[in-house]
Amino acid sequence: MSADQGVSRRTFLRAGIGGAGVLGAAALSLPDVVYPATPSEQTPVAHAMHADGAHPMPAVVGEVDHAANGFNPTKVLTDFDTGMVSTIANGQTLREYTLRVENKTIEVVPGVEFAAWTYNGRIPGPTIRVREGDRVRLTLLNTGDHPHSIHFHGIHPGLLDGVFDARSGVVAPGGRHVYEFDAEPFGFHLYHCHTAPLAKHIAKGLYGAFIIDPKAGRPRADHELVMVMSGYDVDFDGSNDFYQVNGIPFHYDKHPIQLKVGELVRIYLANILEYDQSNSFHLHANFFHYYPTGTALTPSEFTDTVAQMQGQRGILEFSFKHPGRYMFHAHKTEFAELGWTGIFEVEG
Amino acid sequence: MTPIATQRRKAEQSSEPAIQPDVALSPPGGSSRVRMIVALLVPLVLLAAVIVLFVRTDGAGLNVAPAAPIETVQFGRTIMRTGEIELHLRNTSPQAITLAQVNINDAIWPYTVSPSPRIPRLGSAVLTLAYPWVQGEAYEISLLSGNSIVFAASIPAAAITTRVSSGTLLSFTLIGLYVGVIPVILGMLWLPAIRRIGAGTMLFLMAATVGLLIFLGIDATSEALELTGDLSDAFQGVGIIGIGIVGTWLLLDAIARKQRNGERSEAGERLSLATVIAIGIGLHNLGEGLAIGAAFAVGAAALGTFLVVGFIIQNITEGLGIIVPIARDSPPLRRLAWLGLIGGAPAIAGAWVGGLVHSLPLSILFLSVGAGAVFQVAYEIGRKLVWGSGALRQRPLFAFGGVLAGMMVLYITGLAIK
Repeated sequence: MSADQGVSRRTFLRAGIGGAGVLGAAALSLPDVVYPATPSEQTPVAHAMHADGAHPMPAVVGEVDHAANGFNPTKVLTDFDTGMVSTIANGQTLREYTLRVENKTIEVVPGVEFAAWTYNGRIPGPTIRVREGDRVRLTLLNTGDHPHSIHFHGIHPGLLDGVFDARSGVVAPGGRHVYEFDAEPFGFHLYHCHTAPLAKHIAKGLYGAFIIDPKAGRPRADHELVMVMSGYDVDFDGSNDFYQVNGIPFHYDKHPIQLKVGELVRIYLANILEYDQSNSFHLHANFFHYYPTGTALTPSEFTDTVAQMQGQRGILEFSFKHPGRYMFHAHKTEFAELGWTGIFEVEG
Repeated sequence: MTPIATQRRKAEQSSEPAIQPDVALSPPGGSSRVRMIVALLVPLVLLAAVIVLFVRTDGAGLNVAPAAPIETVQFGRTIMRTGEIELHLRNTSPQAITLAQVNINDAIWPYTVSPSPRIPRLGSAVLTLAYPWVQGEAYEISLLSGNSIVFAASIPAAAITTRVSSGTLLSFTLIGLYVGVIPVILGMLWLPAIRRIGAGTMLFLMAATVGLLIFLGIDATSEALELTGDLSDAFQGVGIIGIGIVGTWLLLDAIARKQRNGERSEAGERLSLATVIAIGIGLHNLGEGLAIGAAFAVGAAALGTFLVVGFIIQNITEGLGIIVPIARDSPPLRRLAWLGLIGGAPAIAGAWVGGLVHSLPLSILFLSVGAGAVFQVAYEIGRKLVWGSGALRQRPLFAFGGVLAGMMVLYITGLAIK
């Protein structure tokens, strides 16, 4: 074996007494698997199984302090902000919002605090929900110590795009800016900060969901749930350490979403994940209708898995035929095992 | 440890004469003693005051708190059982750390930690993962602290950790016998042959022994230095090496002087030199045994077999080194056997310690103790039997040729092994 030839007396010694957790590379040359052969000898395997026969699965140890964080992903699911509503002279509905950019330390997984940048102290920011054609007036207050902006996905004038300068909505620390536009097109969109360096501003938490309902609305659903997929790079090495929907990894794994057989479920699913190429959603033991970007009222696909690049989003509709516990997770297994996984608990 | 203790004792002794005249001049009684204690304490009290001042003024006005906390851990042994991985670690940061989550091969994994996820400075913890690992595959385990600092441990090839039992203890004993006792005694069997050789050949052999020992010392120092790369800064690996080499050198020097003082005859002096050489070689074999024991303990046994053969071949020259000074005398057989055990048996103790205790600082200390020992022995042999020998006057190139030949022998056997 070439591995043998490459190992000197010195590396042999290092392998042995190098205490940095480096076990002998020499073990490569061990010919036989040492697992016990007969079932009666397999007691050590039982260590890997719980008493009820469940096998160990990825999970965090402990529970984050949702009260200190100021938001709970279970509530984020159905927390739609329709703004302060009034009617303007031309008869148009006006929806007014105020978003504050805040520096905030968030316990993203138990025991690990992340120096986040947030809209209104939560990740993702508030789910802004308006109707097609409404006038949206949004005041952005920047209480952070870097310039920030809000950049909506939608159709609007360049000066409301939140990218280049103060005129187009980049807000200096301590400053404010009012964005005002008519909501179009209907569908499921996003908003996020668009200040450079952009990856940092998104990765630190400045994003949220933006729903524009069609004028006539969508068919009634029993559950409308928002899921914003993202990640956390807690050690700032440019790659994510955790993945999640709605801000807290493993949350819906620890706190399953409760459904009933036959209920129509509509999920507004968006991907704003930084640093990785794409993200995905897979539903166990079921299929869903998929409306890309939510801009049409007829689905384009009947599937159980959908992929989204950063910035892509869509609407899923499904109902469960059988009771039980069903996982939903990124079908990029690594993301799932690093936190982007959850459970639907379906009652009969 | 012994070397440090020795140094301290020396320091105390040397400072005594400076104090004594002072004591003699003052009138006898308690007050002078009190005054001396006060005088000793004054700088210490002032030192404490300066430290308090520095801390109170926030480090002389420079905000010396780091932007991000400095956190390091030293991983100790990793124990692999079927379906379970156990990591031993020590906190070598300037402050306590808290373990938050564990990632193994890109999956966040539940764990248990004892005694506590909060590990005080220099405190240790044992982390257990119920994880269905696969034989022979590689694993990367990242521990995430509460401050989002990642500590990574890698397992290049997972294998069940050898459990310590009477069987493994016997194996370690046998390995110690193979690499220590047997080759040293085999080397000593050259005694009858050496008796018959001339003064010139003898001189050359002595010089070659010096060369062998210098080479072994350099090798052990290099091993120790390389290990310091894996050691946390808090343990000051190079400092350990310095303490090991200097302390051992001075300890052996003291033993040699003590032995010489007791001996009047030339033959007796040669025998005591052989004893010191045997002790030095024994200390070196202690380090070698430790390295081998540690390697076997983590499942490197299959590869080790070939290398143990290498150790045996190299170590036969050590036995030669012990008997060369006493070649012309006829020491009793019991004494010879005793010398062989002193030189070889520590390899057994080393293999036990290496196999049972997994400690990087201890490994570095043992290696440098071995290095200091062989350097000292090389110095003793060189001083007395090479450069101090009358035979060198007629054969001035023999010291050069012999030492180099000794080093080349180990270099060439090393080529074959590596």
